[in-house]
Amino acid sequence: MNRDRLLLYLYLAGILAATLVHDPVWLGAGLVLVLLLAGRDAWRLLRRALLAILAFNTLISLGYALMAWWQELSPWLTLARLNLRVLLLTSLTFLFIARANLFRALDFSKGLTYVLGLAYSQALTFRRAHEDFRLALASRSLRRPRLMDRYRASAAAASWFLEKSLHAATQSAQALRSRGFFHD
Amino acid sequence: MTELRYRVVKGADTTTPPFAIGGKALIEATGISHRFGSKEILTDIGFQIHPGEKVVLLGCNGSGKSTLLKILDGLIIPSAGRYTYDGETITPASLKEAELHRRFRGEVALLFQNPDAMLFNPTVFDEIAFGPRQLGLADVEGRVRHWAEQVGVAAHLQRPPFSLSGGEKQKVCLAALLALEPKVLLLDEPTAALDPRSTGWLVDFLSGLGVTILITTHNLSLAPELGSRALVLGEDHRLIYDGEIQGLLGDMRLLAAANLVHTHRHRHGGVEHRHSHVHDWQ
Amino acid sequence: MHIPDGFISPQTYLPAFALAAGFWGYAARRVHRQLDADTLPFVAAYTALAFVLMMVALPLPGGTTAHAAGIGLLAVCFGGWMAFLAISLVLAMQALLFGDGGITALPINALAMGMVGAFCALAAWKLLARLHETLALFLAGWLSIVLPAALVAVVLGMQPAIAHDAQGAPLFFPFGLSITLPAVVLPHVLVGIAEGVLTVLGYRYLTRLRSRLDA
Repeated sequence: MNRDRLLLYLYLAGILAATLVHDPVWLGAGLVLVLLLAGRDAWRLLRRALLAILAFNTLISLGYALMAWWQELSPWLTLARLNLRVLLLTSLTFLFIARANLFRALDFSKGLTYVLGLAYSQALTFRRAHEDFRLALASRSLRRPRLMDRYRASAAAASWFLEKSLHAATQSAQALRSRGFFHD
Repeated sequence: MTELRYRVVKGADTTTPPFAIGGKALIEATGISHRFGSKEILTDIGFQIHPGEKVVLLGCNGSGKSTLLKILDGLIIPSAGRYTYDGETITPASLKEAELHRRFRGEVALLFQNPDAMLFNPTVFDEIAFGPRQLGLADVEGRVRHWAEQVGVAAHLQRPPFSLSGGEKQKVCLAALLALEPKVLLLDEPTAALDPRSTGWLVDFLSGLGVTILITTHNLSLAPELGSRALVLGEDHRLIYDGEIQGLLGDMRLLAAANLVHTHRHRHGGVEHRHSHVHDWQ
Repeated sequence: MHIPDGFISPQTYLPAFALAAGFWGYAARRVHRQLDADTLPFVAAYTALAFVLMMVALPLPGGTTAHAAGIGLLAVCFGGWMAFLAISLVLAMQALLFGDGGITALPINALAMGMVGAFCALAAWKLLARLHETLALFLAGWLSIVLPAALVAVVLGMQPAIAHDAQGAPLFFPFGLSITLPAVVLPHVLVGIAEGVLTVLGYRYLTRLRSRLDA
């Protein structure tokens, strides 16, 4: 078994463990462990994880605090458990992404690695292009664009992506054939 | 008749030095750095551009040229440093102010490397009219026709832009930007998708425009045709040259450092040797 | 519908993973039989398409935006199993490569969006296309948003009942159905309208594109 696949299994085991444990103390200990494993990147990892969950968790936590106050319950245990668990799971995922190569972890299946690799590189290209579509409209707008213009811009972007992906599929099918991918 | 701020002068002299010595800079970048996550994209960039200058920004792929143009167009906010346009500091907060936003977007135009990113209107006519209509300018139709003729897409005015060829799309984008008669044109690799004939046309067309131009390319042999001053971004994302293009072209060590030329073995009549040179594949 | 990790109990996500895994295996074989050798590039291309369609802004009046999902469009144009595979791969990519959305929510989202969303959209399209093409496409798009949202709302709303401690305090998502159903479903009823329009326009564009490519 290669190193990356081992990391994948460890990561999945970690995820399962963090959803089976309900004591905030243990969840907090898990978080400390993840940050220790992250070493020098610990603060950056923690900051990224906090930012990623901030909006959703604030909304849920405030809502729950309000509901608990209404029902005259103490919300603290639940809030600590919930937020620590989400933070632990998110940090663990970010650590896995930073340390493991998913493509190597999945290399037991040539097809899956190929599809994921191709889709990922295409997705990165599309993401850059999508950003350009957005910026181009901003660059050409002297005032706030009208609803109609925003629709047209979105439609132009969507049709560009449709056309490019049909094209990309045909191209990579031909490339695969020329490299003899289907014959072994 | 449409009042146009400038007209295209055919056959203008490309070699006129546009260096405006002294006077107020139109574009001023001071200590601009940009990072994306942990990735360095631009490091401590500083330069000035004066009205009427035609400047070529050279750098290999990935050196940060496109990002710098987007910063100068107020689309990306640099992680550090200061950018002023005509004395006004450009930040997200300052661009929220409607008056500055309208003036800046009207005076500074960016041609994206991928023309498809800019085209979204139902016809070429609407595409070119998009800018003038926002300003509520008089005689939109006259303006559109004028610029469509200047770039040579007048025959396609009623066609949808997506049905055009790559070169034609780029011309439509150019006409759409020029219809606002901007003071500054930022052009991102405009020759990358053009065939040799269209490239020649673009060189002539730009040299005849009385606009301040900053144009990026990684095509070294084209650079002297496009302007007389060069800025070079190195592979370390720093500005490693700012001056006359002619001076740059003699400095093979600098060009190699910027990954703009390369070295490989040659045979000249039985003698094998190595030297740096340019291959223009576009 | 992006649920971070930590809101879904293992009693929910483990069976959901088992169910989804069965469907993934079946879908891969189905799509492979249909497309023969070209399966892999097409699955990859439509995955990238599904990924970017989720980023495309659906402009709403008043300067706000929702995001498209493209589920209805993918299902109607490329088939239900292909849509299911593409959407599942997008979710996996988002969770494990982009760090966006959780791994425990993945099977729930894959089943809700890729299975229920795609196949209900396809059913609406197949049943109604002959009566009124535009209406059928619109409905396919609308259903592909609203039904998955409803399913996700039910799964979330069941968490307090499924997983709570001895005092009755919730261990995972803390709100019941009376809150999740209106809070999740109502906004999606509106977003679904924009998605319906996207499906109509996208389908027409793609049909034209294909006839041009074939010509």
